[in-house]
Amino acid sequence: MQNFKEKLFNYETPPPEEIWHHIAGEINNENVVKMRGHKKNKFVFYTVAAAASVVIIFLGSVFLKKNSTPKYSYQNKLDQQNLLLAQETKDSVQLNQLILESIINNPKEKKEIVSQEPDDNIKSKTYLTVADPEGQPVKISPKVATLIISADNGYPPKPIWCKEIRRWQNIMLNSTISPTSANFADLVQLAANKQIMNKD
Amino acid sequence: MTYPDNQIAPENDLIKGCIDGDPQMQRLLYERFASKMYGVCVRYAENTEDANDVMQEGFIKVYRNISKFRGEGSFEGWIRRIFIHTAIEHYRKKIKLFHVTEISENTIEDDRLNALDSLAAKDILKIVNELSPGYKAVFNMHVIEGYSHKEIAEILGITEGTSKSQLARAKAVLKKIIEVRSIKIN
Repeated sequence: MQNFKEKLFNYETPPPEEIWHHIAGEINNENVVKMRGHKKNKFVFYTVAAAASVVIIFLGSVFLKKNSTPKYSYQNKLDQQNLLLAQETKDSVQLNQLILESIINNPKEKKEIVSQEPDDNIKSKTYLTVADPEGQPVKISPKVATLIISADNGYPPKPIWCKEIRRWQNIMLNSTISPTSANFADLVQLAANKQIMNKD
Repeated sequence: MTYPDNQIAPENDLIKGCIDGDPQMQRLLYERFASKMYGVCVRYAENTEDANDVMQEGFIKVYRNISKFRGEGSFEGWIRRIFIHTAIEHYRKKIKLFHVTEISENTIEDDRLNALDSLAAKDILKIVNELSPGYKAVFNMHVIEGYSHKEIAEILGITEGTSKSQLARAKAVLKKIIEVRSIKIN
């Protein structure tokens, strides 16, 4: 037999039927509101996601464009130009060296080398057009070319010409004339500099 | 998910169905627990109208919060606690908890209350319902539901001492009622 505590704890009595109708009505309203809210939330979510995607793609493309354009076009162009210039300068120096050497070794062929220039005339036969270290064309006489080569330590020294060149250098150093690559004095200066560098 | 009238839906299916908002499962859940929970409502309520309000409010809370049930303890116990708390909230304003002189709980002999054992549940309920809402709440929570005075104090927002005093007073009142009605002690 149950005591009064158990009897009260387990006490059951059917509720009026109308209570369920009230509860069901309230739950259904909540479900409808919940569903609408859910649909609205989904719509907002997809809209925001789409907008965010567009913004990300746009920013990404702008960022890539900014980074890639200078890297692959401007920078490459600069590098290529620098390489070409360096190559041209190197080629030019090597060519000059070859020409000068050939003149020294084969004086008879001086005229032939000079005559390779397209605009051949009387003057051009008496001068050589060579490129200075900066790539500028300079006309020199074959004799001067011999002097320049003679000043180079790589060749057997020619004391007379070296003495003469040093004298010219002293004149140039004491003068107020600024040497340029367009005149003979400049070439003398360049030859002198080269000599000093080789000594160092 | 559909269940024929003669088939009992498992508790897990009821819970899942209610979480998904399935009307059939909501109805089945109500039918399974309605009588028991209405019994709780009647014990705490002052009258039928209030019991109906607590019943309605309690079930709506169950449906709204059913996803929070983690399977710790019985599902019926979880629902019962929701109903008790709903009833207490419903009556919080009505319940006047007068501080009484602290009387030791043990001074009221439970033997006198054992006289109620011979009565039917409905008759016991009539006697208990004669208590004031404050006494009835503490009596129901401590004696019937098994809450400690500390728990009662937290739920009702009173001190443990007040809870004990209320219970002692409730038992004293019940004793008088039993004496007046000449209910024999077994």
